Amino acid sequence: MTSHFFLFGGPLTQERLSWIEESLKFFFVKLNPENLLHHTKTRDSVFTFLLTGDALYSLQDPRTLPVWEIILSVPSVKVVCDMRELELRGISVGRLKMKNPDQVIDRNSLALNGQPSFWKDVIKYARLHEQPVPSTVGYLQMESPYMHQSAHAALQFLDAGVEAHVSVELYAYLDGVHLGHLGQNPSESDSIGKGLEEISEKAQKKGLACQMIACGRCAAARGYSTWDDGQGMVVSTCSIKPFRIRNLKEMVNQFERSHVILAKDSGFIQLKKEGQSSSFTQLENSRKPPITILVTRRPYGTEVAFGAISFAVACAYEGISTRVIFIEDGVYALMGDHKLEKGTHFFNLQEVVDAVAGSENLQFFAFQPSLNQRGIQKNRKLNAVLDIGIPELGKLLFYPPTGVSANHQRVIFF
Amino acid sequence: MTGDTAEIPDFSNLTCTNLMIRLKMLLKNAPPHATVECLVRRDQRDTIDVPFSRTGYEVKIRKVDTNRYRVSLKKKEQEPEN
Repeated sequence: MTSHFFLFGGPLTQERLSWIEESLKFFFVKLNPENLLHHTKTRDSVFTFLLTGDALYSLQDPRTLPVWEIILSVPSVKVVCDMRELELRGISVGRLKMKNPDQVIDRNSLALNGQPSFWKDVIKYARLHEQPVPSTVGYLQMESPYMHQSAHAALQFLDAGVEAHVSVELYAYLDGVHLGHLGQNPSESDSIGKGLEEISEKAQKKGLACQMIACGRCAAARGYSTWDDGQGMVVSTCSIKPFRIRNLKEMVNQFERSHVILAKDSGFIQLKKEGQSSSFTQLENSRKPPITILVTRRPYGTEVAFGAISFAVACAYEGISTRVIFIEDGVYALMGDHKLEKGTHFFNLQEVVDAVAGSENLQFFAFQPSLNQRGIQKNRKLNAVLDIGIPELGKLLFYPPTGVSANHQRVIFF
Repeated sequence: MTGDTAEIPDFSNLTCTNLMIRLKMLLKNAPPHATVECLVRRDQRDTIDVPFSRTGYEVKIRKVDTNRYRVSLKKKEQEPEN
């Protein structure tokens, strides 16, 4: 049974849910028409949506509820809700659950402390796709703690992993590097730093590996003391003990392995295996899970869009087949002709895309419906960014890139 | 190539990824047959050498100081067709 899952913790807008719904339609009609037929109670789900945080509002919002109803009309789709977050927000999923009792799950498995844990369920899904031992799961965190609940989600994911005897890895990127700041002392929240130290100790006691890697560029920009001591070592004096500030390349090296890596908004797409590659290097590269990076945010206002492209370049450079799709507000990066004062340290995103497009393992795409919806057009000079619609998006998501024999594809929303 | 490095951009504070991006942008905007030069650290030198040599560039690297290297990149001339 092929199975895919998405984890959503950020707001699920009507726009996002609609293109997801269209992509699922493509998947079921073109690739798996048998799953549209004959609903049986024993059938495993083919698509699972794991919803926590603000994504849960989409289950009640009148703008997104009808889209969920369409999605759930396919019997092999399931939604697993974070029960505690539903309760915290006062969200009711009664209407959806009444119509689709077997598909909308609002109860979570019990953790060792006897409390329901959504993250235990997430780990269960991650472990369904386990590679041979050692079993590992990873989490890419891009937001800061306390301002963003996603930092707690990262912590809970890692903790649930250790509880399930899985080695865990945290990749702290952009503002995510603040998770490892020394001396966090919040009065109204659990300390994320302390929580990470406890996870590291717990893993060590269980004989599990626990790595916490922070991006050196992001850390240096945010004032973490880093330097090159001539041996390539980067040392920080203001981060917690388990945290290691390293070149982005070292973080991306972990992405070459085939464990499940999730983020606040992310996906795991199982791939059918393609033919084997000819040379040894090709063979090695073909086993690395491909990554699709969805740039969903406007450029310049935050570091997110540039961070996405920088991350994509690093992945491609390490031999990971990488596709970057500008979608939703991310398409603003492609509009007009961006001009930047000469001599500035800042990057003109269009120049960056134009310069790196055509690099080995790296492709760029513009989701046409997002451009149309905003009444804007792609800069004609950006001819290396290919226009795509729903069928092409479906192919990018569900077909393996040429020459790739990895068992899954990672999808990360920036 | 002269020993004077005053006019050469110093990219030693860039990460390897951003250095790649910066160099690709410079090469894209450089006139044909022009050489793009910069100063980098040792670990950056290693990052530049293989990928640019492999993708049609002539790469020259010279040590100018401790953990400081001068890199020159030039598009290789096309082999004449027989």
